[in-house]
Amino acid sequence: MSEQPGAYLNLFLFSVGGVNFAVDAEQAEGMVPYAGEEDPDLFWAHEELGFGTTPVSYRTPTIITIRTAGAQPYRVIIDAMEDIAEFSRNDIRLFPGLLEPAALRNGMWGILLREGSLVLLVDFQRLIQKKRSHFSDTRQGR
Amino acid sequence: MEPVHEQLKSDQILDELKRRQRTKDVVDVEEERVKIVIFSSGGHRYAFYGNDIREILPSCEISWVPCLPEYLPGLINVRGDIESVIDIRHFLGEELNSKGKHLIAMAVKGDFHSGIMIDSIEDVVDVPVNTIHKPLATLSGVARDLVIGEIECAGAMVTLLDVEKLAAKISL
Repeated sequence: MSEQPGAYLNLFLFSVGGVNFAVDAEQAEGMVPYAGEEDPDLFWAHEELGFGTTPVSYRTPTIITIRTAGAQPYRVIIDAMEDIAEFSRNDIRLFPGLLEPAALRNGMWGILLREGSLVLLVDFQRLIQKKRSHFSDTRQGR
Repeated sequence: MEPVHEQLKSDQILDELKRRQRTKDVVDVEEERVKIVIFSSGGHRYAFYGNDIREILPSCEISWVPCLPEYLPGLINVRGDIESVIDIRHFLGEELNSKGKHLIAMAVKGDFHSGIMIDSIEDVVDVPVNTIHKPLATLSGVARDLVIGEIECAGAMVTLLDVEKLAAKISL
């Protein structure tokens, strides 16, 4: 049986604090090594993805710039870009219902099994939308 | 006059045994029974209704997921299906310092399905429904919210927990 067009996703695989993540390559505008710069619009992935107080160390911090609708870029520091690979959409598993609300709130929308490990799919655009709508609400005093 | 035959003692005993057997058969037929899975967690014995437990999985790797509360240690891969795992010790008021291996009881009730970390399986028994006692009104502690009853097993009381009540405790 042939797959329909668009049945595959090209994913960037990376890890943060030993957890495997993947992001749709279409979301990434660019990637550069992190050189220690400080910028209020530069975010650490573990803070964005809800690691809480769990200590996280980065071996090879890399800045990924996410395509956004707004003029302001969304740049996130991830660790150890590991691979770029194509996955069938049919291989994406849903989060168990119990966890899905919390996962979606934190930008995680699906799961892939890869070489016996779980890879969490992240939608950074979902995260930035939430972040900017929260920022807008705060400014308007809502 | 015909001699009176005294019933033999052995016959008396046999009659008594047979009467008891018949009574037992009637009881067996009439008594509604339920399957109970008895497990241990943190050195205490608890139970779930067997109908609510689909299977017991051996110790397996739990993949941690950020953003989850401590009582949800992560995800497991059950033959290709991804399932959540609940650390029930949080709801039973038990020490969380044990890092040993755990079994996973796969609980399914209605829309709720999740693995539940337990220390070990103690027994699976069929018990008459009428031997399940209501939980003690004086029962205290955090576990009280999950308790549906108490049963006696091997001379000791075992606390019967309700999967539905556990599910109701989890809202994300």
